[in-house]
Amino acid sequence: MSAYALEPVAKAICDALGYTFGDGIGSGSFKETFSATQPDGVRVALKVLKPGCSTERSDREVEAMKRCAHPNIASLVELAQIEIAGIRHPYIVEKFMGGGTLEDRLRTRLIRRGELLKIGESLIGAVGHIAAQDLVHRDFKPANIMFADTEGEAVIGDFGIVRDLKRESITKTYFPSGPGTPYFAAPEQLTNDKALIDWRTDQFALATTLAIAHFGVHPYRWDGEDENQAIARVANRSGPSPTFVQLATHAELPALIKMLAPWPVERFRTPTMLLEAWRDQRGGD
Amino acid sequence: MPAYHQIGHDSQNLLFDEGLTRFGGAILSPLNYPPEDIAAQLNRLSERENFVTLFDPHLYRPQSERLHLPSWDYYPKDVETADFTSEWWAGIIDKLVATALQLGPTAVASPAIVPKTFPDEFYLGLVENGNRLEAVLQGTSVKPTQTIVANLVDLINPQRAMSIASIMSKSHIEECLLVLIGNTDPRRELADPEELKGAMKLIAALESGGQRVTVATSSSEMILWKAAGATNCATGKFFNLRRFTISRFEEPGGRGGGQLPYWFEESLLAFLRQSDLLRVQARGLLSDASTNNPFSASTLGSIPAKESWLRLSWRHFMYWFAETEFRLSDGSVTTEDLLTTADETWATVASSKPKIYMEERDNNGDWVRQWMRALEEYPYFS
Repeated sequence: MSAYALEPVAKAICDALGYTFGDGIGSGSFKETFSATQPDGVRVALKVLKPGCSTERSDREVEAMKRCAHPNIASLVELAQIEIAGIRHPYIVEKFMGGGTLEDRLRTRLIRRGELLKIGESLIGAVGHIAAQDLVHRDFKPANIMFADTEGEAVIGDFGIVRDLKRESITKTYFPSGPGTPYFAAPEQLTNDKALIDWRTDQFALATTLAIAHFGVHPYRWDGEDENQAIARVANRSGPSPTFVQLATHAELPALIKMLAPWPVERFRTPTMLLEAWRDQRGGD
Repeated sequence: MPAYHQIGHDSQNLLFDEGLTRFGGAILSPLNYPPEDIAAQLNRLSERENFVTLFDPHLYRPQSERLHLPSWDYYPKDVETADFTSEWWAGIIDKLVATALQLGPTAVASPAIVPKTFPDEFYLGLVENGNRLEAVLQGTSVKPTQTIVANLVDLINPQRAMSIASIMSKSHIEECLLVLIGNTDPRRELADPEELKGAMKLIAALESGGQRVTVATSSSEMILWKAAGATNCATGKFFNLRRFTISRFEEPGGRGGGQLPYWFEESLLAFLRQSDLLRVQARGLLSDASTNNPFSASTLGSIPAKESWLRLSWRHFMYWFAETEFRLSDGSVTTEDLLTTADETWATVASSKPKIYMEERDNNGDWVRQWMRALEEYPYFS
């Protein structure tokens, strides 16, 4: 039996669209993802929402993706729903990223400095574009960073917990923490300081992702500590570990250190400032 | 960067006094003047080159402090019943911009109230007002200034200074006008080191994030704001006139006539009454900065009649303020230098024979040590 409960639904969608069904490639809280091929041979990712998960949050995900048009942001091919046995299944079709995710790459090796700068620059562009739409992605992490092919550009996907700053927040103020993946989240996200959430929250998560990808260690994780202790240090705004600061300084990555400052005001104020500072690090390559 | 003058109590002419040209800007007060008076002030100030004229709409307490505000088009007619929503502010900002474009100041500050409490929501509202002002002013010659109102008592919590700075740095505007609200007793210097550290932390955080802070209604504590990195500090004629506390220098009924003259002495970082000045002078404790002040000569030469000394005292303080702001900005003196000297001079005063008893019991220099602590500790305030 398939590990994907929604595989029959995905196959039905493929039949309806004339796609060739491929494989199950991922599963999250709200949806399962499958690969498929369009009649013209172009591969796509088919995301089927779990029953009952067509929530305001998933609506916002789709709206956010529609608003974004950037080469480093996953693009929406189609959004629709299919009814099977009286149950409606909304689904999303996105461009397929054949190069896998950053998480896949990190299973075999850390990324080199040159790759770090290239991936970083691409994703800073994406962060800036998302910010310009008054959106905060809130889930930058290796699993959500994909590549079209082995040499391709990095692309950020999965807007499942996107925050639209122009609309009322879905997360209740009294919650102890906001949605996100704790290991990559910024302090204001972990502590649900909603007024502090903005594009700089993505800046922090991107930097955490890049730091882990290059150095193999969470920037707030002190020697001998575990993941939970690193998360607690982020939530307490204790600042990056001395080991990380030393590594990043030695690697001539001052912008990466600044991106990881515990308070948003201490990070880069605008995406343009961040991009300039990031590019200035090229000299050390 | 140059000091700014907060115009009030007919002080606009002081900016043209020989010796006070170091002031590089003025904050205009529609609370105290009707439109025709502000227009006249702007007309005269336009004679000065590269001079900043900042129009502050002064809606801090629109329901209780009106004075001349009702004569301004942007002053809301429904202030008694309004809910202060985003839409309500938007209408005011649009009218404020129309007023500013008509008058022609170089800059206009975003409107803000002094709230009962200071939650995050209040600061998000300030940012919203600032960003709207910035958007409406685009394409004009008038520059926007982001107003920030902060409660000193809240800043005792160091996390609060950083969270306020984090929210205010969402503003698209780089120039900020920081209005500090305090509960310091009248006739006293700001002396709570925790409040001072929090305010310094806030200033430093905003400045390091790329925003330029002008601290409104400053007094001698300006030296601390400069140490924290404030781009400009503004002061009024009555030196420690704090906009939101009752001041020992406030004139009865808001008009002239009742103010006591004080001499600001840099060697003590203190305001001295006339007889205190004579005692300190007799011990040779006056600073060079004070005696070289162009407004000190006639004061010290022969103590003039009270009224005349009063006028000199305003100028004497304003000269010190602007000159010291400049000296601190260009690095020819540091806040630490000034505080160390003041601490030593107060020690001399305490050990002198015969003793010097200041006219005011609390004029004892206690705040100098608190300021030294604030200066030393604010970078570690977390």
